Amino acid sequence: MSRTTLSTGLALTLVSAIALTGCGSGGGEEVAADAKQTLTVWAMGEEGARLKPVAAEFTKEHPNIKVKITPVGWDVVHQKLVSSLAGKKLPDMAQMGSTMMGEFIALDALEPVDTKAFKRSDFFPATWDSNVRDGTAYGVPWYADVRALYYRTDLAKKAGVTKAPTTWADQQALATAYKKHGAEYGTQLQPGATGAWQGWLQYLYSTGGELLGKDGKPALDSPQAVKAFKAWGSYFDKGLAKKNFTPGEDAAKDFSNGKRPMFQSGPWMVQNINDQHPELKGKWAVAPVPGDKSSTSWVGGSSLVTFKDSAHKAAAEEFTKYLATPKVQAHWYEVDKTLPAAKAAWDQPAMKNGDSSLPVFEKALGSAEAVPPVEKWNEFAVQIESALEKIARGADASATAKQLQKSAAGLVG
Amino acid sequence: MSSTTAATGAEGRVRKDPEGAGRTDDVPPRPGGNGLRKDRLARHNLAGWLFSTPFLAVFLTFMAFPIIATLLMSFTDFGLRNVTDPLSAQFVGLDNYTKLFQDEKFVRALLNTLYFVVLGVPLTIGSGLVTAVLLNSGIDRFRTFFRVGFYAPVVTAIVAVAVIWRFVLDPSEGLIAGVGHQLGFSTPDFLGSETLAMPSLIVMAVWRNMGTAMVLFLAGLQAIPTEVREAARIDGANAFQELRKITVPLLRPTMLYVAVMTTIGFLNVFEEPFVMTQGGPNEATMTLSLDMYREGFDFFHMGYASAMAYVLFVIVLAVTSLQLRLLKDKTS
Repeated sequence: MSRTTLSTGLALTLVSAIALTGCGSGGGEEVAADAKQTLTVWAMGEEGARLKPVAAEFTKEHPNIKVKITPVGWDVVHQKLVSSLAGKKLPDMAQMGSTMMGEFIALDALEPVDTKAFKRSDFFPATWDSNVRDGTAYGVPWYADVRALYYRTDLAKKAGVTKAPTTWADQQALATAYKKHGAEYGTQLQPGATGAWQGWLQYLYSTGGELLGKDGKPALDSPQAVKAFKAWGSYFDKGLAKKNFTPGEDAAKDFSNGKRPMFQSGPWMVQNINDQHPELKGKWAVAPVPGDKSSTSWVGGSSLVTFKDSAHKAAAEEFTKYLATPKVQAHWYEVDKTLPAAKAAWDQPAMKNGDSSLPVFEKALGSAEAVPPVEKWNEFAVQIESALEKIARGADASATAKQLQKSAAGLVG
Repeated sequence: MSSTTAATGAEGRVRKDPEGAGRTDDVPPRPGGNGLRKDRLARHNLAGWLFSTPFLAVFLTFMAFPIIATLLMSFTDFGLRNVTDPLSAQFVGLDNYTKLFQDEKFVRALLNTLYFVVLGVPLTIGSGLVTAVLLNSGIDRFRTFFRVGFYAPVVTAIVAVAVIWRFVLDPSEGLIAGVGHQLGFSTPDFLGSETLAMPSLIVMAVWRNMGTAMVLFLAGLQAIPTEVREAARIDGANAFQELRKITVPLLRPTMLYVAVMTTIGFLNVFEEPFVMTQGGPNEATMTLSLDMYREGFDFFHMGYASAMAYVLFVIVLAVTSLQLRLLKDKTS
């Protein structure tokens, strides 16, 4: 063997060695709950940082389990999870956004929930159902997001409205009144782009519609869906909402300066408005989303999942149990201002003495419906969003719904 | 692939030596004569290989392997479910490529990208050239200040740029809207309008990239001998004639480089629509790279996105070779 070939061989070996070290090892033996171990957990963004002290409390009760929390940004978490799954480098546990569930269930990455330890009846039903596929639950609800209507009571009074709007007609009347009395737009409503579906789905649910029909196929051209599209689109038709989407719009700012004195959003906006616009105190209120047949919101939020490859499933269950106890759930509300998914937590003093808007959210959680776990949720949502954008720009609702149904049909099933 | 040619070259050289053909393997090299020379040659090669190993390792792992993997992937239906077992992806031949050209969104993105390039590249080169010429001859005292000023956007993070440009373009509180309001005319919603969103992004991209062109042109201008300019002036050429007949022709090599690099950059446009419009409104600013990113990382259609990448690659290759041909220095 000449030295030239030898060195070529050497170079190749080196390269393949480097390439191979990229592929790690698989899972190992299961570790018992009472053994000394470190549990790795990924949590999103700020919540990851806030979870650290809570995890430290847990370790005080379970000295043998050290919890290592890694905060991961919401914007990158999906990619990171997928690449860790490919590289078999997943953590033991993670916080998972409700709309990501479908995908990871389909990827067979999640461990089914131990139904002896966690019961559906302990949680708001919709929070549990968004983790269920074919009768099996894959995540334990941690906290919940549900929509409500935020409106300026002072400006409403000026415009002659003294009661919170409860129906679609009420809401539109209020928006019209706001506009007549000097608001730039009657309401803030996102006309398209990422996340626009979050402003529309409560319309669909409140008129008795579903994203997926009984057969598991999309039901986006049902009479209810068309009705929801029309009700949503009417705000743009009548000039009550801005047709053009500008990324980075600050709903709280436009709310406080009275340019758009009404919007529907999740519970975190209570904190945002209180923090950023303390001068608004007493001039606004939170009400259930106005409905058609019913006032039905959809449920978002996060669940706690354990990955199939984890060697610390028993410890993960202990930590999940700890986070789902009413006391810790209520404490988490104080820390994070997100709503507890466990029903019993709402009887805790922290919840009873919490913000005055809490009863509205509690009621909304009770009647809310789940977003079904769809494997290709991202694509599915983009299809809805582009249909919404077309409708906001004046397209016919029923024709657009038909088109949407056709393009969404290939994504589900 | 310079490494392969080097390897075969070295082997060839050894084999050409008729005496040494079998000797390297069988007989230990004798001191002196042919054996020593060959030994030295082999050692020489070994050192070369050792020196290039770090580069080769990095190149093969991080460049060659992904490039080839992407090409192969573009002929498969590689999707989310294949991430745990990449070899389970099905081979689908040219399906991805034929599907691409029936995909309305892709065609729209292709046209948008061409629009961006056709308008953006000449504007960037033109404004870069003009500022370079002005800085080179006009302003003396604050030259450094202006150089830094025009180059600053190039090195500023895109997120900061986006914050500033959103403020400039904001329809209700923006700089342009404010000035318009003072002067008594209403300004449109630049980023919200399907017709104005793309031109707004083009202006922003030109602003961001003209600094690079300017710096390169400045370097090129220094290389033009003053004698030529003097001669032109003695012959009675005015400033415009001097620019057209002296500066631009003598800048041709720089021009070629700037044109090629700017075009490649603009064909790959991603950041501007990503931070400013997310491809909207109604896909008016959807570009090839952004569409590819969404297909690949939001939807995980890796096979499809790989096919897109190769279509973009072929376009870049074609446009670049056309430019090289058209702008080649004809004097040499």
